Amino acid sequence: MSTTPLIHVVEDDDSLRTALLRLLSAGGFESCGYPSAGDFLLDPPLERPGCLLLDVRLPGPSGLDLQAALRRQGINLPIVFMTAYADLASGVAAMKAGAVDFLIKPIERGPLFDAIGRALVRDARERDARQEVLCLRALLDALSPRELAVFRLASAGQRNKQIAAALGIAERTVKLQRARLMAKLGVDTPTELGRLAERLQRLTS
Amino acid sequence: MVDPMTAHPLAICRRTLVSAVCCCCLLLVPAAKSAESPHVLVLFSNNRLLPANVEGDRGLQETLPAEAELSTEFLDAPRFMGASYDRILTTFLRAKYGSRPPAAVVAAGPNALFYLLRNRGGLFPSVPIVHMGVPDSNLSSDVQLPPDVLGVPISIDFSGTIELALRLRPDARRLVLVTGASPQDRQFETQLRADVSKLTGLVDAEFLAGLPAAVVLKRLAGLGDDAVVVTPGWFLDGEGHEVTPRRSVELMADAATAPIFGTFDTFMGSGVVGGAMVDFRAVGRVAGQAVARLLGGSPPTALGLPRGMPTTLQIDWLQVLRWQMDPDAIPAGAEVRFRPPSFLSEHRNEAIAAALVFLLQSALIAGLLAERHRRRLVELAVQRQRAELAHASRLAVVGELAGAIAHEINQPLGAILSNAEAADLLLQSGANRPDELRTILADIRRNDLRAGEVIRRLRALIAKQAVERQPFDLNEALADVELILRSEARRRLATLVFGPIPASARLIGDRVQIQQVLVNLALNAMDAVADLPDDRRTIQVSVAREPGGVVLSVSDRGPGIAPEHVPRLFDSFFSTKRWGMGLGLSIARTIVESHGGRIWAENAPGGGAAFHVALPVLLAGNQETPASP
Repeated sequence: MSTTPLIHVVEDDDSLRTALLRLLSAGGFESCGYPSAGDFLLDPPLERPGCLLLDVRLPGPSGLDLQAALRRQGINLPIVFMTAYADLASGVAAMKAGAVDFLIKPIERGPLFDAIGRALVRDARERDARQEVLCLRALLDALSPRELAVFRLASAGQRNKQIAAALGIAERTVKLQRARLMAKLGVDTPTELGRLAERLQRLTS
Repeated sequence: MVDPMTAHPLAICRRTLVSAVCCCCLLLVPAAKSAESPHVLVLFSNNRLLPANVEGDRGLQETLPAEAELSTEFLDAPRFMGASYDRILTTFLRAKYGSRPPAAVVAAGPNALFYLLRNRGGLFPSVPIVHMGVPDSNLSSDVQLPPDVLGVPISIDFSGTIELALRLRPDARRLVLVTGASPQDRQFETQLRADVSKLTGLVDAEFLAGLPAAVVLKRLAGLGDDAVVVTPGWFLDGEGHEVTPRRSVELMADAATAPIFGTFDTFMGSGVVGGAMVDFRAVGRVAGQAVARLLGGSPPTALGLPRGMPTTLQIDWLQVLRWQMDPDAIPAGAEVRFRPPSFLSEHRNEAIAAALVFLLQSALIAGLLAERHRRRLVELAVQRQRAELAHASRLAVVGELAGAIAHEINQPLGAILSNAEAADLLLQSGANRPDELRTILADIRRNDLRAGEVIRRLRALIAKQAVERQPFDLNEALADVELILRSEARRRLATLVFGPIPASARLIGDRVQIQQVLVNLALNAMDAVADLPDDRRTIQVSVAREPGGVVLSVSDRGPGIAPEHVPRLFDSFFSTKRWGMGLGLSIARTIVESHGGRIWAENAPGGGAAFHVALPVLLAGNQETPASP
């Protein structure tokens, strides 16, 4: 699987789409064009990093429709919108729905590459975060239910004695399980454990 | 016939009585009249037809008492003259008037006066004599008139006449003087020679005295521009032919090549220019007044008559014109005769009326012209307002199309920009890819043309320009707005069907305004189908031919027009849209009607509304040529 980002260009105007693909290619991006939202949805290569350069006005479902559909499907590809006629309503709707930028045609290279760069950064960051969550979740999945319960209370800053009281088990047992889960999670100190718990909480919130 | 023997004795008696009364009346009337009516005998020197006699007689009758009985005798001088004629005449008059002696005798002319003076004793010794028309030259100081012989002598004013002639003919160098051969003629000649001898000046006087008429006329016919003729006329020419002086002057005037002036007003109209003239009618009037006073009982010595009759300056206007004399030279007091009265003096009232009518008409015409001008201004103002309103409405329509227009222009601009920047990057990278650069340049060019075409088609629609009436091609006009309407329809997710559209037709009028009507109707149709399901969001623009024109139709598959709205659809400020101004269709109708067309709406049989615009065509396109796309 290639890790080079791919820019998806959805634009119904053939001339403009060709020109955009040409420009992106000259700018060193890999890109792929679709004349309509439907064409894009037929085969979205989502495993690759990248972003979506999306025309607002399209035959059939509009750019905004596509944005909503992707959100519903949990596809978090960052979107840069393009429009030939800036009406406030669609701009606001797009940005509220999480668009990276809303560009007015004709679009200069600078702002375009800038927006695409930001979109790719966001995509990379989101991908990293998702990756990390997956790792953490894999770690947590390895814990037994008792260990998980101890982990929750310990990451909330409770002492062994308190945990033992809360769970109705012996303090020695708590101590044992704590050592075991720290080994499973790969942390050496209670401080590291606390940081891991904190990160987990942030990513899953 | 009635037999007297068989007639009733009473009837006879009555008839006799009536006859007697009638006889008495017949006897009494002249007797009564003779007691009241004085008898006046007028003795004329010459014959009855002498104009001076006619005029004098007329003046006399104007002033004699109405009851006076007038008897008239003519001595017929110079035909009959001499002592034996005197005797015979005296015998005749005494016999004729012995039983009816006149109360006064009027002697008209010198011959009559001197005959009476010679024969008074044997005629009417104590009857007063009033003379008239006797020249003062005949009454020189050696003639002593008895106190009961009186009258106002006339003056023959040769000097005044010559003066007038030279005044009207200032260049004259020859003064030709014509007189006759009778004793009276010789008397005039004598006076004339005396008057002429007193003349001081540069004129040469030339007398034609007592010559045969033919000779005189021949001489007069040979006169040049430098001559004037002055004459009292003649009674008798050198060959003994007798005429009236008036007739002699007529003969002279016909023959002469120089203007003629005369001394008697009876000459006026004969061809003389004028003169210081004796007025014989006035002479008659003065004599008549004197007779009337004598008959009224005034003693002859108490009448206090003037010493002489004044002459009057008289001018014949036609002769002044004929001889091209200077009208300014006419003396102030002269009586100008035969001058056609000026139009104003002759038709004063008519002239005033005509002038009034003319003025009224002029005022009316001026008023109408002013009214016409005012109307024209108002019309122009209305036209201008209409054009401005149409433009404002067009801008509003174009505003509705702003999204579509921006899209249609920015798409190619975006492609151009991206292509240019791609090329830029390619060049920067140093890669040698000329084929790709060429492709990019071709794309740039194509997109630039595309943007330019959009602007070209829309420029007219947006620009404010004067309304023009020019021939234009309907299909071309439709094609220009088709692109933008398609764009707008796409934006609104509606389907726009253009067609069927037959071969093009040429219309006269403002192409932009017709496009405006189409855009307006199409946008209305798009509004009508906006909230409908996909399969009904369709509008159709089509053209149909009809005799002499075309019908442009815009139909939709919307809800149609509510029947109660149909009559008011094209009224100003009528709108069923929430934010509609209600001007679009009203302006559309104004535009269509100003093109001699008609706009109407109906509900289509299959549902939805259809708007039709019928327009007259200038020239039908060839049916066989395919419709332009």
